[in-house]
Amino acid sequence: MRAVRLLLLVLGASAVGYGGWLLLPQLGTALPWLIGGPVLHDVLVAPLVGVVGLMLSRLVTNRLRLAWVTAGLLASATLLLIAVPLLWRPPSAPPNPGLPDRNYPLGLAVGLAVVWAAIVIVLVVVAMVDRRVTNRRTDRP
Amino acid sequence: MIRRPRIPVPEDFTAPSHSPLVAARLGLWLGVAFGLCFGTGLLSHFIQHPPGWFTWPTRPVNLYRITQGVHVLSGVAAIPLLLAKLWSVYPRLFVRPPLRQPIRLSAHALERLSVLVLVCAAFFELVTGLFNVAQSYPWGFFFPTAHYAVAWLVAGAILLHVAVKLPIARAALSTPLRGSRAVAAAAPGRDDSSERRAFLRTSVGVAGIAVLATAGVTVPWLRRASPLAWRSAAGPQGIPINRTAAAARIVVPPDWRLEIVWPGGRETLSLAELAALPQHTAELPIACVEGWSASAHWTGVPVVQLLRWAGAPTGRPVRFTSLETDGLYAASTLPAAHASDPLTLLALRINGEQLSPDHGYPCRLVAPSRPGVLQTKWVARLEVLR
Ligand code: HEM
Repeated sequence: MRAVRLLLLVLGASAVGYGGWLLLPQLGTALPWLIGGPVLHDVLVAPLVGVVGLMLSRLVTNRLRLAWVTAGLLASATLLLIAVPLLWRPPSAPPNPGLPDRNYPLGLAVGLAVVWAAIVIVLVVVAMVDRRVTNRRTDRP
Repeated sequence: MIRRPRIPVPEDFTAPSHSPLVAARLGLWLGVAFGLCFGTGLLSHFIQHPPGWFTWPTRPVNLYRITQGVHVLSGVAAIPLLLAKLWSVYPRLFVRPPLRQPIRLSAHALERLSVLVLVCAAFFELVTGLFNVAQSYPWGFFFPTAHYAVAWLVAGAILLHVAVKLPIARAALSTPLRGSRAVAAAAPGRDDSSERRAFLRTSVGVAGIAVLATAGVTVPWLRRASPLAWRSAAGPQGIPINRTAAAARIVVPPDWRLEIVWPGGRETLSLAELAALPQHTAELPIACVEGWSASAHWTGVPVVQLLRWAGAPTGRPVRFTSLETDGLYAASTLPAAHASDPLTLLALRINGEQLSPDHGYPCRLVAPSRPGVLQTKWVARLEVLR
């Protein structure tokens, strides 16, 4: 394992060195976009997700239900992230009449609606199965 | 009880998803996603800037469409996986450095630095890639070279990261997620293993949803199902247009003639003469570097037959020059393999109609298994290279 780790170390360091050398001429303009991701995530996104998660776990006490609602929220957040460049074109984007050829707000709305429709169906089924199980238990003499 | 606020320590985070068991599995999948991105990205780079040793096959005709589709979609899948991974290891952000032990401290600092490079570079690639598919460039750098350089940073930093984490990762991956009954019985009321499995299942499920939501840009049978595909497959004459004739400031001169030059010879043809040559029709895709692709039926003169008709040598690379006077893609070099392929057309018609100005009137290059940016439009000149 030592040899493997050493090999990975050497290969990795060389690749990082090569990438850094390639990036050097553009480092100044790229730097904010390199640092921005982790800073935004660590300072803003992760704490926010933690707080929302805590609140949610107070609101929804059933574990299975909580898991599905969480999944719905995470899927929605991901779809929103993917849609950002489609919905928000900063002025520096070159005008390209051929390009934005779909209705992106509608697409996002449809995507979110499908996700939540699926979650609601699952929750209803879960509730029905739950009730049947408890009924059967209480029916027993 | 009043607690004074303080910076948390890793032990403050008690959720079961903060565990090497989860981090290693997510890491493995991220490694696969980024590995696919890196491999297909390198291919695309070499196709556009071929080193001497590189050759790219002309068949299957959809090969570039597939590799670039994989590139873009594995990048999309990596978005939720990266966020899940960072959530899982978030407590590690608060590990206190071993201040009193200089050797361990410097190792710690180096490891932190490599992780910083990894996370910066991983975010950078996903964010810039995502904006690029929308052809939006809200930054000062030149996207293709920066995205390529940072790809090497990610690849190298992943290798460094695996080198550092290999013992933990191996131990974690060989520990089954499904906890033993004894463990579950020892801590009743709390089922860490099932919460971990739920977290991983959700991460993969969301990655799948993200792929489904976008794959329609290139997978024909998902066209209608993908709400966030950034391009439709439809457009004037059945194919979307990236660069319009107006944007490229194209003016076709009334006395336009196609010029064919080769070492020691030259020939020119009018559009009527070109149309009078034997025409062939082929179904070929336009497969863009942005991952979208769509097929059309193109009709025109196979380049190899055109060269033979002119008396020019074949089996060599051919440089295509556009009427476009500036711009990065005003010219492209067709490798010898593609120039000799009978499916490579100098197309005059698309889906049965004459090419519209935006599709490259009077004629354009369409070759199998090539990026769309190299399928030169508004062709003015063919130069057979040595
Ligand atoms: C783009 C790819 C990846 C990113 C961005 C990433 C990110 C991270 C980060 C930020 C940490 C916390 C570092 C620390 O301990 O201070 C971490 C830990 C870890 N990663 Fe990765 N990683 C990636 C790929 C991988 C791969 C390929 C593996 C190998 C299977 C892996 C396995 C691990 C393990 C085992 C830990 C330690 C978790 C712990 O100690 O709790 N990661 N990763």
